[in-house]
Amino acid sequence: MDNKHKRSNHSLVATITLFIVSCFVLLLLKELTLQSVMMLALVPGGFYFLSTFIPQKFSVDGLLLTLVNFLCCIGIIVLYRMNPQYGVNQAINFLAGFLAMILCMLGIRYIEAFKLFRIPFTMACIAVMLAPVLIGKEIHGAKAWLTLGRFSVQPSELVKVGLVLVNGYLLSKRKLLVSITFSAIMLLLLLLQKDMGTALLYYAVALMMMYVSTGSLSFFLAGVVGATGTVVVGYQLLKRIGFAHLSRRVTAWLSPWHTYQDEGYQTVQSLLAIVNGGLFGLGLGAGNASNIPVREADSIFPFMVNEFGMIFGVCLILIYTVIFVRGIGIALRARQKFFSLIALGCSVFIGFQVFVIIGGNINLIPITGVTLPFISYGGTSLLSSLCIVGVLQGVEWVNRTQMALDARMAYCRED
Amino acid sequence: MKRLRQTIRKVVLMIVGLLLLLIVFGAVSVTTQGNRWFSSAANTYLRDRKTAAIPGSILDRRGVVLASTDDEGRRTYHPDEKVRKACVHVVGDRENNVGFGAESFMANYLYGFNTPYIRQVVAMLRGEKLLGNHVMLSIDGEVSAKIANVFPQGKKGAVVVMNYQTGEIIALLSFPNFDPDNITYTIKNDPARPFWNNATRWLSAPGSTFKVVTLASTLRNMKGCQERLFKCTGVIDFKSNQMRDANQVVHGVITLRDAFKESCNVTFGNLALELGDRKLKRTAKAFGIGDHFLFSDLVVENSSYPKNARTNKQLAWTGVGQDALALTPMHMCMIASAVANDGVMMEPKLLLKAVDENGKVRADLEPHTVKKPLSKEEADIISDFMREAILSGTGMKANVPGQRICGKTGSAQVDGQAETNAWFIGFIDEESIPYAICVAVMDVGGGGLVAAPVAGEIFKILFDFQ
Repeated sequence: MDNKHKRSNHSLVATITLFIVSCFVLLLLKELTLQSVMMLALVPGGFYFLSTFIPQKFSVDGLLLTLVNFLCCIGIIVLYRMNPQYGVNQAINFLAGFLAMILCMLGIRYIEAFKLFRIPFTMACIAVMLAPVLIGKEIHGAKAWLTLGRFSVQPSELVKVGLVLVNGYLLSKRKLLVSITFSAIMLLLLLLQKDMGTALLYYAVALMMMYVSTGSLSFFLAGVVGATGTVVVGYQLLKRIGFAHLSRRVTAWLSPWHTYQDEGYQTVQSLLAIVNGGLFGLGLGAGNASNIPVREADSIFPFMVNEFGMIFGVCLILIYTVIFVRGIGIALRARQKFFSLIALGCSVFIGFQVFVIIGGNINLIPITGVTLPFISYGGTSLLSSLCIVGVLQGVEWVNRTQMALDARMAYCRED
Repeated sequence: MKRLRQTIRKVVLMIVGLLLLLIVFGAVSVTTQGNRWFSSAANTYLRDRKTAAIPGSILDRRGVVLASTDDEGRRTYHPDEKVRKACVHVVGDRENNVGFGAESFMANYLYGFNTPYIRQVVAMLRGEKLLGNHVMLSIDGEVSAKIANVFPQGKKGAVVVMNYQTGEIIALLSFPNFDPDNITYTIKNDPARPFWNNATRWLSAPGSTFKVVTLASTLRNMKGCQERLFKCTGVIDFKSNQMRDANQVVHGVITLRDAFKESCNVTFGNLALELGDRKLKRTAKAFGIGDHFLFSDLVVENSSYPKNARTNKQLAWTGVGQDALALTPMHMCMIASAVANDGVMMEPKLLLKAVDENGKVRADLEPHTVKKPLSKEEADIISDFMREAILSGTGMKANVPGQRICGKTGSAQVDGQAETNAWFIGFIDEESIPYAICVAVMDVGGGGLVAAPVAGEIFKILFDFQ
């Protein structure tokens, strides 16, 4: 049975490889350079290698890994089409992120060490989050960036895994209050960075982890109602004391078409990109979504729908759903509360982040500066998303090791 | 651990639900509003596309060409300036100055976006230009021009004529209008906003024409109201202001029928107070006030009923069509058409058909019911009252001898205007000439004096064309 499973996965990998090859051939026809030839050779090859080799070496979820690699490669393709330099950079980011993913996997496999470093680790998380508040740089209205020489880093992305690990550890030890305090500090620091989208994400993940560990629905509902109330009251207050970019975003959300030249510009351009693309899209390289602001990061989804079509957009959301459900499957198979909780936190991070950003793109909720996991341009974002997958795969590795052990013991008993 | 897993399953439902919500929300908004987005002025892509396709012609219901593309690719409009001006808000213009004219709102057909994908690709590869569909509209260019002729010169306002059985719009005019072949700097900067379509996008209090809705609510909620005698003392006194009848008339003891035909404010103000805000609002809602209009062929602003928690004064004024009521002339025409059509309100339609270059019909008119605000009995009573208003009431000037015309006048007071806005809604109660009309003229005086005579002339034009 296991063998059969592997073979079906193999045909998926082959199909995706073909897709990536044809995309790069198309891009190559548009502009024949040495760079595009190299990309044509390296990206599909790299995808094929990483999606088949890693599941052989490590006992991890092959489908999850394949889909994640697929999304990353789509990101590289789309970014390469926008600006070849972005594509090359993103490919390098992907490689670095993949290494980080393997490190995270190993880290989870040998997690015992973490318990020794838990207090310094927690402190480090807080320190890293505090840094942009003190010495940060403001981009798109949020003060969430640190510049180190040539590089810009978004600490809130890096700390995602930290939030999951620390909360998972505390909650598995039934230290709910400490966990709430830690999450509240994180949230406060994010609010000081004026990064609403990420704050919402952190809140949702922490709340879900606490809900699962306590099993109390009233706790969860109180959390949802409390957050909604805080947002409504806070919005009225903050509007008066200098969160101008926040209130602009709400205006843009409620009536984008009345303000399509200023506040609503991003939303309107996103919606236009989607309807102009139609069901089947205008074709890779033939799109007309060049007006969308931050199309390489926040608005990459409408840009892709414009070129690949709405059906592709729906498929993309479904792929994310599958990734989320696979992650939850890992959480359900885990034997210890700690592993189950961190796998859950990681899955929710991916699933909810997709909701927040695509929901913003299609004007279901106000637009925030959250990235689309695995696809958006940006080293930190890709790195953190891949680390999250690394944690998931690490838990799966532990699960499979334990299951193999059980099977061997059952075999011995029968003997 | 078992409990933990159960809770995890609930989390799965929530997050998967949110992700599926994205798909559902996206699909619903694209299907209901996609065409509005696509054809909006914000879409610069549309302009690019105009170079890649040869747009089809726009015809009126008789097949007269209102807009077409000549051999050099230039867009030309009807040769007669009067017809051009009368149809401009429906047809649109080259530069998309009119927000949602057919030139942009029907771009899907005109620019061949509905051409099968394969053919689009083939045309692109061959380097040929796509041929768009020809679009036949339900309006009548000649009738429109004649209507423009009888509208008070130099005044702002709107006229809508629609077939109440099918919803086809025969004429839709907004004043001031402009000539699409001669758009000057003065027109672009005119404070009267000639580009703005007053028929579909001007929201205002409709004055006494709204009494049709108050009457409908009374018939529905008050038993024996037709036999009852009302007392008009000439005034309802509120602390801050007084509601009086036009020309300080005191009607004394009066039936509902006479109160309607004389347009007695005091009786209808008292009726609104007796009905209460909730019932009046429910009837208004049944007529589509407060609904989100998403018609397939044209963009109409949403009408609104004033917000809750109101004083008696505001409620009484709402009953006579004042206060914060906001309706478009298009919507008032739809209300008249619902009365005419036995209580069934049809969706206004502009597109009769779209035909591709091979003569194949790509889209056809399909009459569609929006709402059913009235029962047949209620509609008959209201028609009868409206007939009375034409024969011996405020709407006498709209009468055309020998024809069954029904109508209601309105004079809406608006802050900051010297004169009232003159309104008239009505219809021809005849199966073979099924037209409902709405006339609105801004800042000119009473509905009976200004709008009703215009309506009479329009009715004559409509008879002549049958």
